[in-house]
Amino acid sequence: MTDMSPTLKIALIGNPNSGKSTVFNQMTGLRQRTGNFPGVTVEVKEGLLKFPSGHEATLYDFPGTYSLYPTSSDEKVVASVLTNPADPYFPDALVYVADVTKLEKHLLLFTQLLDLNIPLLFALNMSDSATDLGIKVNASKLSESFGVPVVSISGRTGHNTMRLILDLEKMVNRPPVSGNRTPFYPLTESEKQVSEAIRQNLGIENPYRALLLAHHGPWLHFLKPTEKETVLAIVSTKNFQSLRAQVDETLERYDRFIPISQAAVVSPPAFPNTPTDRIDAVLTHRLGGPLIFFGVMMLIFQAIFDWSVYPMDWIENGFALVSEFLTVQMPEAWYTELLTDGILAGLGGILVFVPQIAILFLLITILEEVGYMARVVFMFDKTMRRFGMNGRSMVSLISGSACAVPAIMSSRTIGNWQERLITVMVTPFISCSARIPVYLVLIGLAVPAIKLGGVLNLQSLVFGAMYVLGVLAAFASGWAMKRWLHRREHSFLAIELPVYRIPHWRNVVLNVWEKVKAFIVGAGKIILIVSIALWGLSRFGPGNAMDQADQTAQTEAQQLSLDTVETEGLVQQRRLEASWAGQAGKFMEPAIRPLGYDWKIGIALLTSFAAREVFTGTLAVLYNMGGSEADINDRSENAAKATLRERMKSEKFGDTGKPVYTLATALSLLVFYALSMQCFSTLAVVRRETGSWKWAALQFTFMSVAAYLGAWAVYVLFS
Amino acid sequence: MQRRYRTITDLKINESARAISFDDSELACKLTSMGLLPGTRIEMIRKSPFGSAYYVKADGVRLALREEEAASILLEV
Ligand SMILES: Nc1nc2c(ncn2[C@@H]2O[C@H](COP(=O)(O)OP(=O)(O)OP(=O)(O)O)[C@@H](O)[C@H]2O)c(=O)[nH]1
Repeated sequence: MTDMSPTLKIALIGNPNSGKSTVFNQMTGLRQRTGNFPGVTVEVKEGLLKFPSGHEATLYDFPGTYSLYPTSSDEKVVASVLTNPADPYFPDALVYVADVTKLEKHLLLFTQLLDLNIPLLFALNMSDSATDLGIKVNASKLSESFGVPVVSISGRTGHNTMRLILDLEKMVNRPPVSGNRTPFYPLTESEKQVSEAIRQNLGIENPYRALLLAHHGPWLHFLKPTEKETVLAIVSTKNFQSLRAQVDETLERYDRFIPISQAAVVSPPAFPNTPTDRIDAVLTHRLGGPLIFFGVMMLIFQAIFDWSVYPMDWIENGFALVSEFLTVQMPEAWYTELLTDGILAGLGGILVFVPQIAILFLLITILEEVGYMARVVFMFDKTMRRFGMNGRSMVSLISGSACAVPAIMSSRTIGNWQERLITVMVTPFISCSARIPVYLVLIGLAVPAIKLGGVLNLQSLVFGAMYVLGVLAAFASGWAMKRWLHRREHSFLAIELPVYRIPHWRNVVLNVWEKVKAFIVGAGKIILIVSIALWGLSRFGPGNAMDQADQTAQTEAQQLSLDTVETEGLVQQRRLEASWAGQAGKFMEPAIRPLGYDWKIGIALLTSFAAREVFTGTLAVLYNMGGSEADINDRSENAAKATLRERMKSEKFGDTGKPVYTLATALSLLVFYALSMQCFSTLAVVRRETGSWKWAALQFTFMSVAAYLGAWAVYVLFS
Repeated sequence: MQRRYRTITDLKINESARAISFDDSELACKLTSMGLLPGTRIEMIRKSPFGSAYYVKADGVRLALREEEAASILLEV
């Protein structure tokens, strides 16, 4: 889209929860995509806006902010783009979206934008709610007072969307008014001096923009070093008190616009006890609130498991069929294997998680749209802060149980850098959907299916324990990082608790699609590459080792008089043992022996770097299963799994002759998988979000050490 | 020790009072931009389950505030 993007740029700006994204979806439909503001990891949604005249524009959905004096990286983007006309995202015109039922609170940012002198259209959103509440707004009066076009719209019902688009086109086609209009907020004497000095030195026309540079000079990235020095020098010689001035300006603006809004809005007296108050009395109750939250979480996880079984089976079976078909139809050669065992296996490994991820994000998005997530942030802020995080981290941690990649990306709303960093660092400890197949096979192998006290299934109990282990590890490392980093920086909770609303289906669908896309594009690419690389490592070996393996296998097969299927399996097994991956497994055996693993498990540990569930598939090959990988990774009990377990049980250490798979080894492997950072995609996202490999490397190291030590402790304890 | 001002943390459940000023300018900047101004009537709705956060209504707008944030808002006596 970028190459062909129309040159006319329009930005939607508004407070959080003003309904900006809803309006954006309404205006662009499905013609949208998500990008990143360059240099900062803040999302910008970009869509194609078609005017009825046939002209087009690019519409941007900026992050929600309360003012041009930002406190989080999300909000900083708005101030940074709007103060820099050279920015690629700098809009030609603005649409300001306000929640008309709270007009007064939404006028602050609006009047700041007025003073920037960018063509501005005022969209009074949520007109449907206003009607329901009996609120009447005189749009033409507002238009007259502020000197901008005003349209009353509803992002939910689509009311007046066309009118908004038409008025927008009319506005951008109007020739620009020359010269500065009278500012809404007249600068004070000291502000004027600073602004004037900056205007002269940096050649800026708009006085308010110059003032914003004085406020934000220390962190604005687009200023050249010399410009930054000039600004800082002006600020200090004029002894300009930035924070003080910000507060005073805000209060002065309120004093100026409150009479205007009072004259234009008629609202009936507010009800003292609205449905939202009654719902919150239950949902944020001191005791009931947390209990309900854990109940909701249990229901969500139950739903993920129950609903995803069928689509996951379809995907697995579908890939197995295609792979079989290609194996039969194509010549027997390395490129066929590359296609089926490398590329298709990789793709299958990516797509099989889509159902779970989609279902989880569907439910999380609904909770968010309804307004419940803000309550979760409120209830757990204190708890999370003990562990170096912030109430908002809850959303990331919960999402982490689907996939760490979109979960880490959702940490962007956390304003405090340290709290955000800790959230990013510990989220991968939460057991994600890729760990489930590994857990299931290992638990089936090692844990007897007995009921405790006639109700609790021991296997389910261990399964649950793996999740708890992940959560504990996340919190423990959060706690440790907080002690270690120990940075003092202002951290805010101050969050608005929106009224409860019925979710809007279009928002939900688009949001889920965006998250799934983030997984497929963000994680998928890397899984695919690693999966192809690992295919190469297990397909080829040093020197003529592979040919020798072939011959040994053939001789062995003849001696044992195996049938063709069994022979084929044996060949595969010997080849994998001789391959580069096999060599690596043998090489690392001494290192993993203390955990109770032999070199075959070592190979599986290596190959599961593509995606954790590859672990079971590799074992299937190593134990000469010949059966399809899909059967092994299938969540239901089946013959293939039973056979794999049989084979695993009879496996012995080469030197001591002791069985490899004891309860201790299986538990040790479980702990290893729960704690280890075996996912390149996550590391790549961590690097992007933190801006350096340093944190990704640190995360990899500490998670690996934790996994190793944990697995070792468990092995020693149980053997 | 006798304090000259009360803050939001001193409000009982369902009690309300007007805000007069702030004693932290960074918080003041954040809170005023969210619509919590001197003169705003603040009603205490409830405390968070694990303490240290407050659910308040500021002129009808529901806000969640941390202990320090709440303590920085001085109320009329
Ligand atoms: N009744 C009604 N609800 C709306 C309307 N527009 C948006 N909403 C709802 O308001 C809530 C917030 O909407 P969003 O579009 O997510 O708001 P936003 O401004 O993008 O919020 P941020 O992403 O926090 O910046 C959602 O639950 C929407 O369904 C509207 O016109 N009428």
